Amino acid sequence: MRQWWIYLIVFAGLAIPIILKLSVPSGRLHSAEKLFEVVESLPAEPGKIAIVAMDFTPNTVAENEAQTRVIVEHLFRRRIPVVLFSLLPLADTFLKGVPEEIIGRLAKESPTEKWEYGKDWVNLGFQYGSTLFLQSLGKTDDLPGLFGRDTFGSEVATMPIFKGIKNLRNVSFAAEFSGSMVIDSYIQFLQRAGYVPKLGFGPTSVITPEAYVYLDSGQLSGLLEGIPGAAWYSQLLQKKYPNRIKEETEITNTALGVAQLLILLLVVIANVKDFISYRRRTA
Amino acid sequence: MSLEIWISLLGGFCTIGIFTFLWRENAFYRMLEHFFIGIAVGYGPVLVTKEFLWPKVLAPLLGLNRVVFPDGSYEEPYNYWYLLFALALLFGSLYYFIFSRRLSWLAKIVIGFSIGATAGLGFRGWFAEMIPQFSSSMKPLVVFEEGKAIDWITSLGNIAFVFTLVSVMTYFFFSFKSESKMVKGLSSSGRWMMMICFGAFFGSTVMGRMALLVERVQFLLGDWWSAVRVVVG
Repeated sequence: MRQWWIYLIVFAGLAIPIILKLSVPSGRLHSAEKLFEVVESLPAEPGKIAIVAMDFTPNTVAENEAQTRVIVEHLFRRRIPVVLFSLLPLADTFLKGVPEEIIGRLAKESPTEKWEYGKDWVNLGFQYGSTLFLQSLGKTDDLPGLFGRDTFGSEVATMPIFKGIKNLRNVSFAAEFSGSMVIDSYIQFLQRAGYVPKLGFGPTSVITPEAYVYLDSGQLSGLLEGIPGAAWYSQLLQKKYPNRIKEETEITNTALGVAQLLILLLVVIANVKDFISYRRRTA
Repeated sequence: MSLEIWISLLGGFCTIGIFTFLWRENAFYRMLEHFFIGIAVGYGPVLVTKEFLWPKVLAPLLGLNRVVFPDGSYEEPYNYWYLLFALALLFGSLYYFIFSRRLSWLAKIVIGFSIGATAGLGFRGWFAEMIPQFSSSMKPLVVFEEGKAIDWITSLGNIAFVFTLVSVMTYFFFSFKSESKMVKGLSSSGRWMMMICFGAFFGSTVMGRMALLVERVQFLLGDWWSAVRVVVG
């Protein structure tokens, strides 16, 4: 019966901030800030694109989707063409939903501006081959030819986004979002003689400690640590673009913080209670 | 009622059904668990066929990815190099001989090829991944700022890094037995450092699990509850 109280307390801790739409400012995260600065410094010029790999499935959608949203939004705002794909077949829904949701929000914010499919972004869908595909990305001198067709079956070579795009040197930035350490493969193979694009990574909280080594060595240009990383990035966007319509990441982060505090509190209470009963037994 | 409402209702029904496991193991939970596994297993191959096997292998091989004009002629002639795809398909299909006792050696050729290719890629990838890590591990213990003053924060960070690196490596050094107090002390510190690291991992894991729950709670309180209100009126 006691466990039911724990479930209820944790559920309430998560639900109350969501129902009341409570959001407290998130803590400053230097690795997320680094990533923000990298995206800010990217050249918004013809012949340069960014690739965003949404290598996640529904089981890590809470963290990875929030991270992807802030990065893609930032790239859209900076008018850097975005090529979306995934190495996992189950990411199909998110590849379609995320850019549409962001464009809907941006269109509300500034109705005069437009983001066009094929010009500002393209969805390549699921890309088969994992490591082999990434190696081909680094080696090919015909990127549109490698991609072939987008997820809707249209030939990508004729799209304006790929005008002047030949190889990896045209990719100024790559970001990967995942619940596993697939980033290893990107670090290993997403490079060309004398050129490595700036690489950002959005891991789930579980694998964040593993990713720090790559940040320290400079193999990653920035990191979004789970939902807190996305929330801090969202705040940076808010600061840079004051008219920005707020999204839910900061509320989610608040709910998460409340739940974590409750867990800590429950751990302390349980330990104190056990300690007192132990003292009583041994007295 | 729109399709979205039905999808939200079904999603909520399945989520609550899975959560019944918190009460106890039950048949309803088992049924939904099997549904989920079945859907995931079925969805994968269909998508691989739809997104990769057909558009990137079979359609070019059969010449069906070319534009056909109303008079029945093609935009471009058939590229005979695509016939090489058939060789790759046949070679890969040898894997299925694993089910035959007499001809399973044919499958071993494909497996051997896969192992060789993976090992080759791994070998190349290891260097690309690890060499920058080795070089970044060589950190100066005392860092000076531009004005020649010591940058204490970076220096202390580097000292902590190098100490952790050396102590953990000492812990995993089993080649020689050492009775030296210094080596034993370092090894013991290495174990403590790893314990702290595992604690950080565990903390992150709890946060990750909470993040999974928060997404479901958001769904139940948002989409699902709105759908229920539409149904109830």
